[in-house]
Amino acid sequence: MTRARPMRRVLVANRGEIAVRIIRACRELGLETVQIYSDADRDSLAVRLADRAVCVGPAHSRQSYLNAEFIVSAALTQGADAIHPGYGFLSENAAFAELCESSGIAFVGPPAEAIRKMGDKATARRMAEEAGVPVTPGSAGTLSGAGEAGEIAARLGYPVLLKATAGGGGRGMRVVRDPASLAGQYADASREAAAAFGDGALYVEKYLERVRHIEIQVLSDGETVLHLGERDCSIQRRNQKLLEESPSPALDDGARERIGEAAVRLCRHVGYRSAGTVECIVDAASGAFYFMEMNTRVQVEHPVTELVTGIDIVKEQLLIARGERLSLAQADVRLHGHAIECRINAEDPERGFAPCPGEIRALHFPGGPGIRVDSHLFAGYRIPPYYDSLMAKVIAWGRHRDESLARMRRALAEMRIEGVPTTIPFHERLLGDERFRRGEVHTRFVEDVFMGEA
Amino acid sequence: MKNKDEQLTYEDLLQIVEVIKSSEQFAEFHLKVGDIEIDLRRGGEPRAAPVAGSPAPPAVPRGGQVGAGEPMVQPGAPARASAAPAAPTASEQAWPEGSIVLRSPMVGTFYRAPEPGAAPFAEVGQVVALDATVCIIEVMKLMNSIPAGASGVVTHILVDDAAAVEYGQPLIVLRPH
Repeated sequence: MTRARPMRRVLVANRGEIAVRIIRACRELGLETVQIYSDADRDSLAVRLADRAVCVGPAHSRQSYLNAEFIVSAALTQGADAIHPGYGFLSENAAFAELCESSGIAFVGPPAEAIRKMGDKATARRMAEEAGVPVTPGSAGTLSGAGEAGEIAARLGYPVLLKATAGGGGRGMRVVRDPASLAGQYADASREAAAAFGDGALYVEKYLERVRHIEIQVLSDGETVLHLGERDCSIQRRNQKLLEESPSPALDDGARERIGEAAVRLCRHVGYRSAGTVECIVDAASGAFYFMEMNTRVQVEHPVTELVTGIDIVKEQLLIARGERLSLAQADVRLHGHAIECRINAEDPERGFAPCPGEIRALHFPGGPGIRVDSHLFAGYRIPPYYDSLMAKVIAWGRHRDESLARMRRALAEMRIEGVPTTIPFHERLLGDERFRRGEVHTRFVEDVFMGEA
Repeated sequence: MKNKDEQLTYEDLLQIVEVIKSSEQFAEFHLKVGDIEIDLRRGGEPRAAPVAGSPAPPAVPRGGQVGAGEPMVQPGAPARASAAPAAPTASEQAWPEGSIVLRSPMVGTFYRAPEPGAAPFAEVGQVVALDATVCIIEVMKLMNSIPAGASGVVTHILVDDAAAVEYGQPLIVLRPH
């Protein structure tokens, strides 16, 4: 499928902790790195660590990290033969992947065609159905209007979920609980989607409550497709993940195998290559799972899977982009122990998780057995106000869930970040919650149950 | 103001500016008339080059094409050494007082001439007009003509022909007319 191609110098088309993560993988593979940066990231850790650095534009990401032509131009002038897009920004932009490839630069990710198929949610649902992967009951494609939504909703039974086909991050999404509010909610969601994504098309599906968000990590070289187990991301707030773990406390080996195989079928069906994630919702009571969407890139929470499988996902992405075959078979993938990740954001949990940029006055990262910290912080670093608030990911590994939770609590108690508010107090309280410790959570747990008790 | 005669007119202000401009002796001028305060300074104080806070060129791609961007012209000042260790910037230095530095509005390849072998757009010592093309930046095979952005005499050309340049990198120094 892919021919081996030379790869010597990789341009990192991202910032923050994931840029540092990519540079680390490149260095271990003996690859040179070119870090792009905006005016606001001149003093970033990634710029310091990379072999070369190129300023591509002003702080505003539309003119820097989202400027496809300038980024490819930087790669060409710096002699880079591959571009790693990280997550966010241009990572799921099929046109960018095409632009890289047509410029003779390897895009470290899936083929543009696979991004296109999975990026449009209505198409992705159809792909899943064709591959025999269960999807939540709902409309076959996009809706013609509120009238059609009403007919399908009546058949599905309320509540239903209206979703933008181009959506993400909860925008263009509405839960509709009764027929009377459908038309108004439809108009709102469509308008929001048109403004955010330039496409107001919606589809409707049955809204399932008290479900878990479980995602399957996949790795494909175009021929061999592996699943690397799941991550349970049910701890979220407004569709933003806060804590992830693997394995899920709610899946047994049989369910894990069934979901994993379904994810592999879907990847084969769309000709997937590189690392990717198939997101599902799982009804813990019945064990039923439904395909939600696929992320065609590396995820923020990938280290959780790396710690339980021992597989370096970012390195594998680079090797696959170089045209190499996976050296593993499914039987070689074994989940060992338990890992959990806490996202430490520059946000104030006391004030609705408001982002708080500022200067890091003092910093101490935890260490010791089973602890990994992925971060771009250093003492004296100024968190710019233009980008996301993720400061660090603390990942704890243990032989079993209890040990990893104990290590995480111990690690967060050691951690010091002075200068900005952090989400550490939120995580400390959550880790002490009896229901969380028993694994009895769902995607609405933080918002509807836990935060209400604060 | 108590006395009408003390009122400062626009013409007065222009005259003061002209006197300061033509004078070889004065670099600074302060005037306080009633509650009006005037502070004039020639050439600009030495201060850190406005790197992060520089005016952002609207280099927005239109329909998949690269926008030409606007020239970034800034008063010349001793430039702060770039924090980027491996950035391919020409070693920055202090320019004569009053100089104007044209910075690259985009990342790409710098060309001094419209085509190989042709005469350069500008040479050191040449007078250029505000809207005169002084170089080309190639971004993905698209040639973007970069205007001087200020009229004056070219005093330095900081980048070699066909060299890679990054956003914000100083390209050409002018002494304004």
